[in-house]
Amino acid sequence: MASKHTGKLTKKDIRMVGVRSIWNQSAMNYQRMQADGWTLAILPALKKIYGDDKKGLSDAIKGNLQFMNTNNYAAPLLMGLELSLEENGEDRETIDGLRVALFGPLAGIGDAITWFTILPIVAGITASFAKQGSILGPLLFFIVYLLLFLARIPIAQLGYSAGSKAVSQIRKDSAIVSHAASVLGCTVIGGLIATYVQITVKSKIAVTSTTTISIQKQFFDNIFPNILPLGYTFVLYYLVKKKNVSPVMLIIITFVLAIICSWLGIL
Amino acid sequence: MITLTQGIMVSIFAIIAGADFWLEGFYIFRPMIVCTVTGMLLGDLRLGIVAGGLTELAFAGLTPVGGTQPPNPIMAGIMTVVLAHTTGHTPTTAIGLSLPFSILMQYIILFFYSAFSLLTKKLDEYADQAETGKFARLVITPTVIVSVVYGLFTFLCIYAAQAPMKGLVNAMPTWLSHGFEIAGGILPAVGFAMLLKSMLKGKYVPYLLLGFTAACFIKFGNLMPVAVIGIALAMIEFERAKNNRDTQQKLREVEENVANGGEEDGI
Repeated sequence: MASKHTGKLTKKDIRMVGVRSIWNQSAMNYQRMQADGWTLAILPALKKIYGDDKKGLSDAIKGNLQFMNTNNYAAPLLMGLELSLEENGEDRETIDGLRVALFGPLAGIGDAITWFTILPIVAGITASFAKQGSILGPLLFFIVYLLLFLARIPIAQLGYSAGSKAVSQIRKDSAIVSHAASVLGCTVIGGLIATYVQITVKSKIAVTSTTTISIQKQFFDNIFPNILPLGYTFVLYYLVKKKNVSPVMLIIITFVLAIICSWLGIL
Repeated sequence: MITLTQGIMVSIFAIIAGADFWLEGFYIFRPMIVCTVTGMLLGDLRLGIVAGGLTELAFAGLTPVGGTQPPNPIMAGIMTVVLAHTTGHTPTTAIGLSLPFSILMQYIILFFYSAFSLLTKKLDEYADQAETGKFARLVITPTVIVSVVYGLFTFLCIYAAQAPMKGLVNAMPTWLSHGFEIAGGILPAVGFAMLLKSMLKGKYVPYLLLGFTAACFIKFGNLMPVAVIGIALAMIEFERAKNNRDTQQKLREVEENVANGGEEDGI
């Protein structure tokens, strides 16, 4: 039984899994999130592994149709890994158990790297070009994400060749890599707050009949530059973290405050 | 004024970008790209690029992590450019005006997440009979439905309803449109607060402050210096965390040996 399917998948099959991982969210739904799209992505590989064994194929598909929700760049890694196990003829419970055990940690590390580290950096740098009207901004942005898409292919190969020994490694290293990514991400977000959140107080205080003091220039800027953007970001952070306020509500609060301040002539 | 041809072209692009957002493939759904392409199709590339930089930052933290659905980046991008182009407002004001469309689309997608749960029963049947062709077609169907809805929604917003919308925008008093402009400038704070919600722990606050201070005082056109400082800090932390873990592991081994030794002595 153990070696029944070995050697059925070629290098090209694994590359195709990397490309096909784009289907991962094709049928996204609340019941089992990515499971249906996930299965579609690896379907040709499963068909090849099980060949005429309809029962085996059906069991494999059903096994994969369980709740699945991971990061889209981590998905090809897990797909490659799972297929190496399917090919080795591991039993159904082992394969499904490993997949279910790994998608969570992989989602955490993948999100920390792609959404919370790469996106703020790429957005921050390309936006500084774009705001001056330079086509370099969107062009650079497009190229980075095209390369990241192509990276799905080596990621799938990595998962496939690492096989089951990757499992302990992922569990061992994911916390440290997430930690380093968070350090980078938080540093960049600090920079983004200083650079891109704009709050400038217009109000002036009349000291005598001829001289006035600008609250922004002579007060806030003398304490620390960009102190209002930092302060307001922390107010929003407090609301979303401790009071569980939704992002839509934060947007509405921001608009109401901005319009009131505009009406009063403060901002 | 948006012509019929322009309306159709932008709607076709919305179909492509909509499919891309659903699948999270090439990131052409990010405002940076959406605004640039929309600007190009309307014959005002520069406006598109500038709006792309501004809107991208406003949406930096509004990410679909963990199966949540943020205010829609595609509709925000398209409507920011369209409204700035047709009404003559600044892109910063237009971001504020685009948000109702963005939030409406967010709720449409949320509805689809629930609706597509209904497909899972049929998919299970196909899995049972190993009907891979029918399975594949049904898994792709949601992507097609969502894309078409993006196209229709966009056409409705930018072409069919443009006259009343323009009237509404132009009827706004100055304090209100200035309020929208202020809100557009503060809006990135919402995104950054959302990023911090997922990332910030007490131990990362120093890095946030370092990045913030660096960006305040390093006068340079883009965020690259802050990103490099962040990478350096991440590398330091990675090594430190790894060493720490290895030391802990050795310590535990020694402790176990001692404990085992002690037991033997006791017996």
